[in-house]
Amino acid sequence: MPDETTAVDFERTFLPHMDAAYNLARWLVRNDHDAQDVVQDAYLRALRFAGGFRGDNPRAWILAIVRNAAFSWLKSNRGSDPPVLFDENVHEGHAEETGLEADALRKADATMIRAALEELAEEFREVIVMRDIEGLSYKEIADAAEVPIGTVMSRLARARTKLAQSVKNRIAKG
Amino acid sequence: MDCDTARVLLHGHLDGELDLILDHEVDRHIEQCDRCIAEYAAIRALQTRLKDQSLYFEAPAELKEKTRRAIHRALPRAQASPSIRRSSVRRAVRFAIPMAVAAILALLIVPSAIRPGHNEIVAQEVLASHVRSMMASHLMDVASTDQHTVKPWFNGKLDFSPPVVDFAQDGFPLVGGRLDYIDGRAVAALVYQHGKHVINVFMWPAAPEAAHSAKIETQQGYNLEQIAVAGMNCWIVSDLNPTELAKFGELLRARG
Repeated sequence: MPDETTAVDFERTFLPHMDAAYNLARWLVRNDHDAQDVVQDAYLRALRFAGGFRGDNPRAWILAIVRNAAFSWLKSNRGSDPPVLFDENVHEGHAEETGLEADALRKADATMIRAALEELAEEFREVIVMRDIEGLSYKEIADAAEVPIGTVMSRLARARTKLAQSVKNRIAKG
Repeated sequence: MDCDTARVLLHGHLDGELDLILDHEVDRHIEQCDRCIAEYAAIRALQTRLKDQSLYFEAPAELKEKTRRAIHRALPRAQASPSIRRSSVRRAVRFAIPMAVAAILALLIVPSAIRPGHNEIVAQEVLASHVRSMMASHLMDVASTDQHTVKPWFNGKLDFSPPVVDFAQDGFPLVGGRLDYIDGRAVAALVYQHGKHVINVFMWPAAPEAAHSAKIETQQGYNLEQIAVAGMNCWIVSDLNPTELAKFGELLRARG
């Protein structure tokens, strides 16, 4: 297909998914400027590989490329900063004993949820962004993140539990 | 079902991703397990909060514009590559002015003289569109086997309403439609299937040209047929064999 792909074909298929692309990139790299670079880079990569696209799901296809572009960006720009890893000892506290409380979560404001989600390890952050914010199906997430569908559910389960716990800890701290 | 299993599966349950049996088993477990029901409620509350508008980052307009420009720079439309469509477009453009002059002369002098040439160009465009649609980048804008979904979809997108009929019972199910551009105008493209073969039907209101003998031509391994349906100029193109294509043409002529 690359020979026959016109800019117009490509735009018609993939530009409608730019919000999804930017949202994912923005959550992964966590700032606007770099997210824009990542998205633009991903679209140009996609243009080169458009021949590999078989018309099934352009959104999942472009998101897989955005995700890879975001992870390469993170890898080369992390510098001396340690990777953001979720410190289970600090954040999880005594989750097993206290459990999660729906009432507390309902009261959580968006700023608090945003801060908690930004702090979540990337592998957990991305599944929550794709499922709960972007609304992708498990199949689409599996395609975009290149993992088996079963992994999507178990990863989401861990991710949401961690996020809920982190939000709750923030509420407790005030 | 034990708690550990339920605590993972309740996510699939909340997301509507489980089959009926598992769904039911999760329900049964949750009903009798205080801890799991609390967790279920908590995750549901979290999901609701995650839907907050402020957590969705829409792409800035400048990014869309910037990316569009970068795409055009990287892949100019007039890129020299062996594309059937582009070469046919180029040919159409190269001939456009002489043809316009010829058309005026022809109307004055020999009204039918240039028609075969014009038809040939249209045939090329139809074929190129079909080939391009098969490259999977853009077969359908509206994917539906329901004629009552496909037909209204064209409303407001075209200045005419194409006849849309599903021939599933005759072995030619309708699978969708899209907008296309043929002979210098927006046209309706209907997509049908027969076995593994895809059939593209292009339609636009016809100028009452000379009656078309429903002759099937073969070009580059594809079969093309031009017919008149309900006052429309109608081109059928597919890699289907000529006999079956003729059968489809008959159906379209009779019921379209």
